Amino acid sequence: MRVKIGFEIHEQLATRTKLFCTSPADYRDAEPNTNVCEICLGLPGAKPMGVNADAVEGVVAIALMLNCEIVQEPVYILRKHYDYPDLPSGYQRTSMPIGRNGELAGVKIWEVHLEEDPGKYDPVTGKVDYNRSGVPLVEIVTAPDITSPEEARAFMRELVKVLHYSGRVRREGGTMRVDVNVSIEDGARVEIKNINSIKGLYRALKFEITRQKNLRRRGRAVKRETRAYIEEQMITRSMRTKETAEDYRYIPDPDLPPLRLTPELVERVRSQLPEAPHQKLQRFMQQYRISKDDAWAITSEPELADAFERVCKEVEPLRAAAFFRHIIKKTLNYHNLSFAESGITVEDIVEVLQAMSSGRLSQQAGELVIREVVQQRRRASELVQQLSRVDERSLERAVEQALAENQKAVQDYLNGRKEAINFLLGQVMRITGGRADAAKALQMLRERLS
Amino acid sequence: MNELVLEHSPLENLERCLERIQEREREINAFIELNPRAEEEARRAERHGGRLCGLTVAVKSNINVRGLRATCASKTLENYVAPYDAVAVQRLRSEGAVIVGMANMDEFACGSSGETSYFGPTQNPAAEGRIPGGSSSGSAAAVAAGFADAALGSDTGGSIRNPASHCGVVGIKPTYGLVPRHGLIDLAMSLDQIGPIARDVRTAALLLEVIAGRGREASMLDVQPQPYTRHLSADLAGVRVGFAREFEEVTSPEILGVIKRSLRRLEAQGAEVVEVELPSLEKALPTYYLIVFVEFFSATRRYDGRRYGYRIEEVCGAEVLRRIHLGSYISQKEYAGRYYRRALQFRSLIRRELLQALEQVDVLAAPTTPKLPHRLGESLTPLEMYAYDLLTVPANLAGIPAGVVPAGRVRGIPVGLQVHAKPLEEQVMLNVMLAAEGAE
Repeated sequence: MRVKIGFEIHEQLATRTKLFCTSPADYRDAEPNTNVCEICLGLPGAKPMGVNADAVEGVVAIALMLNCEIVQEPVYILRKHYDYPDLPSGYQRTSMPIGRNGELAGVKIWEVHLEEDPGKYDPVTGKVDYNRSGVPLVEIVTAPDITSPEEARAFMRELVKVLHYSGRVRREGGTMRVDVNVSIEDGARVEIKNINSIKGLYRALKFEITRQKNLRRRGRAVKRETRAYIEEQMITRSMRTKETAEDYRYIPDPDLPPLRLTPELVERVRSQLPEAPHQKLQRFMQQYRISKDDAWAITSEPELADAFERVCKEVEPLRAAAFFRHIIKKTLNYHNLSFAESGITVEDIVEVLQAMSSGRLSQQAGELVIREVVQQRRRASELVQQLSRVDERSLERAVEQALAENQKAVQDYLNGRKEAINFLLGQVMRITGGRADAAKALQMLRERLS
Repeated sequence: MNELVLEHSPLENLERCLERIQEREREINAFIELNPRAEEEARRAERHGGRLCGLTVAVKSNINVRGLRATCASKTLENYVAPYDAVAVQRLRSEGAVIVGMANMDEFACGSSGETSYFGPTQNPAAEGRIPGGSSSGSAAAVAAGFADAALGSDTGGSIRNPASHCGVVGIKPTYGLVPRHGLIDLAMSLDQIGPIARDVRTAALLLEVIAGRGREASMLDVQPQPYTRHLSADLAGVRVGFAREFEEVTSPEILGVIKRSLRRLEAQGAEVVEVELPSLEKALPTYYLIVFVEFFSATRRYDGRRYGYRIEEVCGAEVLRRIHLGSYISQKEYAGRYYRRALQFRSLIRRELLQALEQVDVLAAPTTPKLPHRLGESLTPLEMYAYDLLTVPANLAGIPAGVVPAGRVRGIPVGLQVHAKPLEEQVMLNVMLAAEGAE
């Protein structure tokens, strides 16, 4: 059955202040309801200041990176009315499209807007925290060009990468919200809200498509409605029948003159655009002569790519690339962290790579250092010291000790059970705290047992 | 002269106002709340001075004054104590004005009579038994009764000028975007302006020059405050005053008589009176009300019962509820762009027409209301009530300044002359008002 999936993606813009006032936009360390003023609290009589120019430029930059046309006509800020505890004024302000007709990874981008974030409502306590109220958001609306959860996941990864590359969105994580529209065989369109991770997106889609298919198999119609994704149960649940646009009673906000995206503004933003991920990928392949797979892994995050370029000033690029792809990426994936969150520095990487190339550090120990940097937040310089390979004499002593302490394994080996040597090697590694050169230890064990 | 000269010290001046309040407030009901810190403010004014040093000011209850209730004369906000000062109030304070209290008004400024307040109607101090007009009823009545030297009102479709006319005082609706609205609780955001009410043109002009000028809000004009009082002049040599035939068709003969006499006096002082045309005048009222309903509906969504105690629909009066329901209906149908945006187009047409008329003249004179204020308690249909605004809404739709100055009386009831000018030409408007002043 033919599946059509489209997205509305919201992400906070990394501006200093909120969209219509000068309260700080970064509220992460603030007590609830302290990052507010009469404007973002929507107090009676409060009027918005002019639209935050950084936020407008941010949306223009993102729209350009998504290959959109920038709208030439005046862009009105609309009031979208709905009744919810997190909305201090009973309406949310959202711009008409700033960018249109873009494309990313084969998916058409319909529109890119500027919006304000509402507050945060906790239905359990009934409390609302307005610290978030008025924080600028970019909203990206795609065409329903996606046909499977797997494609959806791949597209979202690509989109997140572009957003990160733009340098205009918050990187702290947890602020992205995705609304997904799903329909099967031109049936009714179901909107799923409350998705805030790519994993959640994938699971929600898997569930929802199965649900809709089952309904159709039983000859029942799919209702046009809004459903919520329930993260803990990995299901979607009906929220309400879908509002139509007229229920929102959109009007241009009388307190805000329309935005004008002049050609000068657009050109200035365009001239300062950062390199897009696919451009960086091509450049890395040519400049550093690394494989496409290596370049793909390294350019997955802008901070990781920047670190790679700095490391290449000290270390041979091919070796650096292998280390980035196989050791650093693996560690990040294992801990589910971005490079920026991981605490790994360029100095750490250079330290490890140099120790490895001089033979002081084994490949395994190098990986261990990176893992310890992430887990213990320690610096590579001290860890390398601890994990440097033991010298020949210490290794000999460790081999002697392993043989002496494990007579049974020695007998097994001598009786023909050759795999017993692996046990003995493990003992050597244990005794040396993993700092032995495994190949050399194995050779010593064989010589002593022959 | 651009300094205020009061006969008494700030403290004595305040005392006199409070005495008159003591005597007559029970009868007039101009205030919802008096300022318990007024004396303290008067003492501070004595120490610090300022261009408004010691001037007592009543503030309409839809303007935020920190620590006082900005109720909008509605049960909806009866417990809302303003946590911040409106920008206009800040500016008054910084020049030494003393806030006497929060003035009564029509509920959420929805009315033209002063009768729809949750806190009871206001009496007209200048015409016993009559309505004071609205919606800045308490502001105009407080000035007329001597409870305050001046007042702040708000004008969306005549709410300063209408009660100024009925109460025999001076009222000014400035150019849209000249005075910061930050702190003014919305009726219709694209039309609302804060403006002064005073007993004479000079005081009103002084208040205006203090509160005018660029602020931080998005919808403001980027202009400097002007020293209106320094350039006040009643010399009308070479000044062209327009008057539209369409005004005559809608105005009662007795009011028209007062206005015509006023025009003749302006001529006698050197002005030339010229006839102009405003063929779209009849479209102004429906256009105005449509915009008000839609914007007011939007503005009231925050009174959902979660933050301010009551859900507005459950506690408000009939007129407020009517406007909310109409606004909700219209803006729902608006999705096809049928009403609000068409009204905005009509508004552009009316604006163009007024500006064209003003091209030929310096100011446009007009009556303020088509009829005299009715007796308090007399029942009017909504359409009869809306008809009061016929001659005041064009200035709001066009965003131009308009002021009202007492022009005479009919059977003892004050009648005000309305003077319109081009955007930001408050000075010539004030000069004509000054020349017309003193007719009584």
